[in-house]
Amino acid sequence: MQTNSLSLLELTRLVASLVQRPETQNVWVTAELSDVAVRGGHCYMELLQKDERGLQVAKARGVIWASNFPRIDAEFFAATGQRFATGLKVMLRVSASMHPVYGFSLVVTAVNPDYTMGDLMRRRREILERLQREGILELNRQLQWPAVPQRIAVVSAEGAAGYGDFMNQLYHNPARLRFKTRLYPAVMQGTSAPRSIISALECIAAEADMWDGVVIIRGGGATSDLQAFEDYELAANVSQFPLPIAIGIGHERDITVLDWVANKRLKTPTAVAEWLVSTGENALGFLMTVGNRILQLASERLSGNKEQLAHAEGLLPVAACNALERAGARLRNAAIALSGISGRRLHPQLTRLDMTLQAVKEATRNRLQRTNSRLDAAASLLDALSPMATLKRGYTITRIDGHAVTSASQLQPGAIIETIFPDGTAISEIKTVTNKS
Amino acid sequence: MTPVKDLTYTQAITELESILRTMQSDECDIDRLAALTRRATELIAECRSRLVATDEELKAILADLEK
Repeated sequence: MQTNSLSLLELTRLVASLVQRPETQNVWVTAELSDVAVRGGHCYMELLQKDERGLQVAKARGVIWASNFPRIDAEFFAATGQRFATGLKVMLRVSASMHPVYGFSLVVTAVNPDYTMGDLMRRRREILERLQREGILELNRQLQWPAVPQRIAVVSAEGAAGYGDFMNQLYHNPARLRFKTRLYPAVMQGTSAPRSIISALECIAAEADMWDGVVIIRGGGATSDLQAFEDYELAANVSQFPLPIAIGIGHERDITVLDWVANKRLKTPTAVAEWLVSTGENALGFLMTVGNRILQLASERLSGNKEQLAHAEGLLPVAACNALERAGARLRNAAIALSGISGRRLHPQLTRLDMTLQAVKEATRNRLQRTNSRLDAAASLLDALSPMATLKRGYTITRIDGHAVTSASQLQPGAIIETIFPDGTAISEIKTVTNKS
Repeated sequence: MTPVKDLTYTQAITELESILRTMQSDECDIDRLAALTRRATELIAECRSRLVATDEELKAILADLEK
């Protein structure tokens, strides 16, 4: 039976004295972070080393005491844009420590952010090169948003501040633009985030015709864990998604693989909402501009025509007078011309008329002369035949009631007869009538 | 001419722009002016109505958000 023994405290102190040697103090070590947690101002984490197959080959507890943590955290964030988080590769200055109660741990006193950056860049470059090789890197970036995206599928964590900011910004827009949204909830932090976001995207893809585009949003904050977005599977899903995707995952200075493949990259959920609202406002502004321009053009055209009309109205009376005057002048000219023409035309006619008249006169005269001479002859004959000559030879003419009496039977006793002599007349009363027959 | 309700937003905007070009050119006479202005007014009203929510819609949405 062994009677010499050490107390536990003695042993752990012995181990501590063996561990805490100059060779193990303030050494730079590279490791991968896991299970990062901040409690009481101290930052606790697991430091891992994995082989090529991803199996753990070393593991140690790490701690940054509250006296150092704010400085280290700020320095790291300033350089990398991220907080300590699972999956990050880090180079830390550590001192090995053995505590009687808390056991073995590595106390972190400094960090080299360049190592982490280099590692992140390398990993991101690997993902991007693979997407490029597969010809899918720019697929989503080549998609076109509609002129005014209004139907938005939202991938976010339910009840997250970032989602609330987004919705408030979107629906309290002063222009009262109409939006339609639906939340497709997903885990937005930690290692399960990529798988969760991918399944939300699959739900949206199943009803892609309901949506103009997708926004993936997450509020920023102290516990930013952008490693979740440095994921090949997620990037491949986003790049090949049939609708344009806008990203607003609340990080300021660095970008993730997702920002390379998504159609639109904005800093925060609020910025995504602002972009959507301003797109709509621009469209409204364009409508207003076009409306005003058309109104202006129409007014100009109308007033131009009115002016023309007024001008025409002013001209009209003058024009009428001028027209009348011109017409009058034309008429006069025509009359003058006509008279000229008439003169030329009428003169021969008149001459002919004159000549005709002359001829007629001539003819009449001739005719008269001929008639006169005939009359003279006739007059001689008449003279010869006239009762005067007969009367002179001793005959008288007896008349009764103005008619010559040529038969005794025309007379009755008591009738009054007129006897015409060459030099007078005598009135007699018939006494008797004797008919010879 | 297609009724404005049957046009996509982009088609309506394209037509608006073409009306604007026509009105800016000299070949737009006073007879077409009235027709073009009327059509443009319809197109603008339709586009606006698609972009902007009615009071009822807005109330419903905000009530939803409050929940």
